[in-house]
Amino acid sequence: MRFSKMARGFLTGAGLLAIAACGNGDKQDDKSSKDDKGSSIEMPSKNPYPSTYSPYSSKTTLLTGATILTGTGDKIENGALLIVDGKIAGIGEKAPKLPKGVKKDDLVTIDVTGKTITPGIIDIHSHLGVYPSPGFASTSDGNEAVSPNTANVWAEHSVWPQDPGFTRALAGGITSLQILPGSANLFGGRTVTLKNVPARTVQDMKFPDAPYGMKMACGENPKRVYGNKGGPGTRMGNFAGYRAAWIEAREYKQKWDDYSQAVEDGKDDATMPSQNLKLETLAMALDGDLKVHMHCYRADEMVQVLDMAKEFGYEVASFQHAVEAYKVADYLAEAQTCAAVWADWWGFKLEAYDAVRENAAMISVPENSCTIIHSDSERDIQRLNQETAKAVADGAKLGIETPPEEAITWITANPAKSMGILDQTGTLEAGKMADIVVWDGDPFSVYTKAERVYIDGALMFDLNDATLSPRMDFEIGQQDNGPRGGAGQ
Amino acid sequence: MISPHILRKLFVAGFAGATAMISTALAETIVIENAEIHLTGQAGKIENGTIVMEDGRITAVGRLVNKPSGARVIDAKSAPVTPGFFAALSGVGLEEISLNGEGNDTRTDNDFPFSAALDARDALNPDSTIIPISRAGGVTRAYVTTAPSGKLLGGCGSVIDLSGTQEPVMAGCLAQNVVMGYDGARRAGDNKAGAFAKLRLYINEALRYARSPAAFRDSGTDSDLKYLDLAAFAPVARGELPMLVHVESAPDIRRLIKLKKEFGLKLILVSAREAWRVAPELAAEDIPVILNPMDNLPARFEAMGATLENAARLHEAGVTIAFFDSDIGYTHNVRLLPQLAGNAVANGLPYEAALAAISTNPAKIWGLEAQLGTIEPGKIGDLVIWDGDPLELSSRPVAVFINGQQTSLENRQSKLAERYKDLSKGDLPIAYRGR
Repeated sequence: MRFSKMARGFLTGAGLLAIAACGNGDKQDDKSSKDDKGSSIEMPSKNPYPSTYSPYSSKTTLLTGATILTGTGDKIENGALLIVDGKIAGIGEKAPKLPKGVKKDDLVTIDVTGKTITPGIIDIHSHLGVYPSPGFASTSDGNEAVSPNTANVWAEHSVWPQDPGFTRALAGGITSLQILPGSANLFGGRTVTLKNVPARTVQDMKFPDAPYGMKMACGENPKRVYGNKGGPGTRMGNFAGYRAAWIEAREYKQKWDDYSQAVEDGKDDATMPSQNLKLETLAMALDGDLKVHMHCYRADEMVQVLDMAKEFGYEVASFQHAVEAYKVADYLAEAQTCAAVWADWWGFKLEAYDAVRENAAMISVPENSCTIIHSDSERDIQRLNQETAKAVADGAKLGIETPPEEAITWITANPAKSMGILDQTGTLEAGKMADIVVWDGDPFSVYTKAERVYIDGALMFDLNDATLSPRMDFEIGQQDNGPRGGAGQ
Repeated sequence: MISPHILRKLFVAGFAGATAMISTALAETIVIENAEIHLTGQAGKIENGTIVMEDGRITAVGRLVNKPSGARVIDAKSAPVTPGFFAALSGVGLEEISLNGEGNDTRTDNDFPFSAALDARDALNPDSTIIPISRAGGVTRAYVTTAPSGKLLGGCGSVIDLSGTQEPVMAGCLAQNVVMGYDGARRAGDNKAGAFAKLRLYINEALRYARSPAAFRDSGTDSDLKYLDLAAFAPVARGELPMLVHVESAPDIRRLIKLKKEFGLKLILVSAREAWRVAPELAAEDIPVILNPMDNLPARFEAMGATLENAARLHEAGVTIAFFDSDIGYTHNVRLLPQLAGNAVANGLPYEAALAAISTNPAKIWGLEAQLGTIEPGKIGDLVIWDGDPLELSSRPVAVFINGQQTSLENRQSKLAERYKDLSKGDLPIAYRGR
């Protein structure tokens, strides 16, 4: 018996999903719209719960004197970074020039000599909000473990924005994160990508224009959960379940494609097919509009999943946990599928028995590989930098060198790529969102903390300013934990 | 010709015997020189120091020591040397796979009749792969215990060494594992008062039983505990053996302190996320706390005060602290003790105090401070040479000594990584490599 409050989500089937683009500008689609020909088309909304996130106010800020790990594989010593209007306006060895129209008087210059600047940290695998703190049955909303296929559920409908875990993650430098349903089911449901900004509603946290993802799960969890509940009860049952669903989704997609074509052709008698939430999500995956994130531990199963993806014509954006990825790093690189892993978790179930501490580094060896360190934990999301540091060190012992400028991509650019938001965040490049962490030392040291965390240029956390340490409602008016409270815990 | 099978048996028998006696004739004399030696007791940190180990024990430590002739001399090249790390609370050797029935003896089914009578020594698997994997991370000793399942009591634990011996138990049945707080309440009518009522009842019944088992039986008392459990709990009720109590909130901790005074109990607190709120009382009563310095979430109402500064605040008040992790770090990742300690330093705990929380203090809590926990003459030769700051994420052990002997750092994981380093097809399948 363990005494951890964690429901050990990964044991009961916490899992993950991917994100796929809906790319409709985060405005709620009208139920009906006019096409070119002026005929009225009834189409279900592709984005009925649109993002209402907007950045908080930011100052024109110049950070100088820092070591900058850009997330693009570069390192700049004694560099400078300029934030204007919530975006990165420039970065380099010399202070970037102020854009036209920006007044010099408005510029705040902060000397961060001796500190390190990195892109905001991105966790591709979190259950914050769906398995929040406090962890009671009444707040356990991460696994719709009632049927092996719940592609119809959306994690965002479970996310409790008041989870204090979001604030602790903020103090660890997390600026964006993907919330996934659990891994009890073959198809766990849709994921949601959030900006880590405290909000009243989940829509206020949704990352603008981030594609949706879908969580699927391999192996032990589905067969354990459904073995005595009608199946699947075996790994072959798992695959039969996936394939049957993809076949149905293919037919569903065809119906809708036919309908769209008929409408386009001006056929007034075209009948709209009935909307099916499960199949709609799966069809989006087949259309490439949604990213598939597959919880999978064993090497052999991952390669079979890649075959299945070819069979049905979709892409696997990532394998999650991927404890045995090191055995098939070549296959994963070939398929350009990311592997999101822990540094050193192992042995909590048999499919996690062959873990090696060198996994992440070994995944990174082949060309076109994509290594990600994830948390799947309300504790480790607070220190993905530390998890990365351990994984890098173990790789080095095996002769795989990963310099800091490359290691940082495992928790910034690579998860952003896999989640489909790399065009907006994940690296420090001019024009991107100013999602930035200033660390008070080497980000890969155990003694280092995130000192300043900017999201879209707004300073959301400051280690040295208790007024910039958010507290969630649950913590208000309760027994306190210290002078800073909230995030700065 | 002796078959390899027999040879291995002979080897195991010989090795086990030698270790049980803490090595005599077999023990190599080892000198580690040019070392940055931590936790040397009064002397503090010694730079460019030398350590001598003879017959399994440390015999000399300092800048100027005589090196015995015939010793194997290891140049530490200024690297840090610490005592072997000591998991103050774990399931090492009791669990191979958490979710597999066969691989997990840390707990029982909830309706299993026995509780306090469980003894970790009866389930311990010295062949667990977790032992060499943990050793490669610098962990040389662990307290291992069964844990409460359906009842408040979970049995007694022992301190083992991680050398790989078949006889790893160094000190047996050292404390009774007890759960209180919300987890205790769930085992006692879903009520914290129920848990306290039960614990008092158990104490009284165990005392009565110990005074006269026959009279107790004759009285027809309908106890939840079996006679074996009552017998096992009696030394705890008499205050001879500590209660290792899982508890979180400050009010619950205060109630336990009262109970301790009332019955003359010995207490060791576990988890205790709000212990910092009761720090002066804990220091005054000399009650140690085994905690996770990374617990900082209001996971329950009883943990609203959880903070990364729990360790630092307790230490400052003079409470003896040690670290543990109730999750994967309870078994498979006890090797992450340095990361726990490093994070405690990042949150205000002095460096040497953090090192002590994973070496000196566990030895003290388990009554083994005369033998373990510091690098001083007379102590058992449990040492680790590190390739950098022992608490830093990038550091790993270069050499691990247990009972004065150098141990292997090879393990199932290191072999798997080696085996898959090259994924090319080769002349034969991967299954033929690195066997």
